[in-house]
Amino acid sequence: MYKKSIITILFLMLFCSFALAQGDIIKIGANVSLTGPSSMWGISELNALRMAADKINEEGGVLGKKIEIVEYDNRANPPEAVIVNQRLIDRDNVAAIIGVAQSGTFIAARTVAEDGKTPQIGTTPTNPFATIREDGTPFKYAFRVCFIDPFQGKIAANFAFNELGAKNASIVYDVGSDYSSWLADYFIDNFTALGGKIINKEAFRSGELDFRAILGKIKASSVNIDILYIPTMQKEAGLIAKQARELGIKAPFMGGDGVGSPDLMTIGGDATEGFYFTNLADLADPMLSEWLEEYRARYGTDPVLPNPVMAVDALLLVVDAIKRAGTTDGEALAKAIEDTRNIKVLTTDNFSIDPATHNPFDKPAVINVVKDGKFEYVMSYSGES
Amino acid sequence: MFLQTLVTGLGIGSIYALMAMGYCLVFSILNFSNFAHGAMIMIGAYVGYLFCSIIGIPFFLSIIITAVITGILSVINERLAYRSLRERNAPSLYLIITAMGISIMLENLVYSTIGSNFYAYPRVFSKNYLEIFSSTIGLIDIYSFFVSIICIILLHLFLNNSKIGMAIRAGVADPIATSLMGANFNVLIRNVFFLSGIFAGISGVFMGLRYMVYPQMGWITNKAYIAAVIGGLGSLPGAIIGGFILGIIETIVSVYISSVVRDVFSFSMLILILLLKPLGLFGIKYEEKM
Repeated sequence: MYKKSIITILFLMLFCSFALAQGDIIKIGANVSLTGPSSMWGISELNALRMAADKINEEGGVLGKKIEIVEYDNRANPPEAVIVNQRLIDRDNVAAIIGVAQSGTFIAARTVAEDGKTPQIGTTPTNPFATIREDGTPFKYAFRVCFIDPFQGKIAANFAFNELGAKNASIVYDVGSDYSSWLADYFIDNFTALGGKIINKEAFRSGELDFRAILGKIKASSVNIDILYIPTMQKEAGLIAKQARELGIKAPFMGGDGVGSPDLMTIGGDATEGFYFTNLADLADPMLSEWLEEYRARYGTDPVLPNPVMAVDALLLVVDAIKRAGTTDGEALAKAIEDTRNIKVLTTDNFSIDPATHNPFDKPAVINVVKDGKFEYVMSYSGES
Repeated sequence: MFLQTLVTGLGIGSIYALMAMGYCLVFSILNFSNFAHGAMIMIGAYVGYLFCSIIGIPFFLSIIITAVITGILSVINERLAYRSLRERNAPSLYLIITAMGISIMLENLVYSTIGSNFYAYPRVFSKNYLEIFSSTIGLIDIYSFFVSIICIILLHLFLNNSKIGMAIRAGVADPIATSLMGANFNVLIRNVFFLSGIFAGISGVFMGLRYMVYPQMGWITNKAYIAAVIGGLGSLPGAIIGGFILGIIETIVSVYISSVVRDVFSFSMLILILLLKPLGLFGIKYEEKM
């Protein structure tokens, strides 16, 4: 009898505190990968979200309520991410979900958010179809804060034309990869629209090792090129750079975020000096310096980019939208996120969402360059000089 | 432009030729395609990297040490995997499948022990290329071209003038008669595998130097295998000429048509040649290979 009443009281207390807590807390879900091969980014992502939430709460919270991050591990695995989404929506009643980072996993989980009428903001899913349907219309509740693959092609074309003064470009791309083909096409569209000329567009098939035939063709062409655009992965880019220099091609190289691995320099050696590439984020970005110090002070280690900064952008986007909507109702919140114009987030001072695609609108990319065998930050660039 | 294409084609072709010779040697005597040769080339690239880059032995000395090591590994491979099959007169299909198994096993062994990282050889030549008649020739190409030619000549002299070479040629002509004449067939095959291992080591080092070192690099030997088939499996001069033909045609197709259809051309050519000459260009008669 005595025991029973204690348990009843405990349950009552728990229920009351739960009900009370529900009243002044806004839950935001984090669908992140905390174990498995992507965990180094996922853990950074969660750390950054907690830090950002604490900061928002110290400054008075949102609509007078405190933000609480509720996280579950998705192991970067599509079925797991679907279960995590279901749990966040059905059991935790979150206002919005931040994550998933991987395109394929995001696409799998997105359906649950759509059915549960809960906005989901992907951190780094760069596949164009993460937020839109095949016919080009956006999913109502799917958003992202990273740029999409084709956007990098645009950034690269603008950077090459405006900043490097390139007028004639050649392209070597991997015809077996969606990523590479998108980047190549968008580079060409934007570069020619600016008034540049494409001298050669050469394709190879994934797994190729010898590019001297196509590079020889580029070298033998009557026009000297000012830039060689190589939107591939690091392995091919390193080999292409090395073989191009061997053949005496002197133009600078440029690539996408796929080349951003130290393997590029291992494979390409000296030939990769001055290799430019577009990237999602860089620790040397002055916009991040203050945040980076806080992160280091709190966790004693460097964040693993780009996921944590993207997650903070996503949280700030959600918080801003909740303020404008005045509610955490999913439908109103999704509308408010869609209407986001020129707000301040971590990586930029004017962040907007494109209502037609649910992608960020002209969010700056980071330009990196290889210097003395290391990646260096050049600038943040949104396409205008 | 055409000269440049030709030079590049010869450079690529010489690597194919060097790799094709290893296939050719084994095929000529055992009548099966040793698909583990590609994996042996990959091991050669790693061993060469170890000596040349980590231990820091001069490049040409590294090649020799690597060639000996892969030669020994190739003999061990034969002893462990092929001999018992051979002694039980298994059809050559079984040997081919065993060879594929070894190739996959070695590749995964490297994945699990060394990992999937890429490695690059240190720079061996101070200058990377030469300019001749407005076309650029990579120094590595010149070296691999001459090393191929020298290896081929040495092999030819060895097979024609040494006792072991004579035994190998006799074994190729008629294995049973050679055994009956008192030649130890197992020793003979060991020698053939040692030679093919030497070629695997040399081509592995040149492949690693030319491109990079990674576990899957053995797959490029598919092309070398095609070169050997074009030339006529089992014919040494055929393997060399097949390698050069394939290298040049691939380059010409890449430059003048498109690099995307390059493999369509090289494989169509393989089918066409086999339709017209089922034994390849130089695979004359079974008894007179080599």
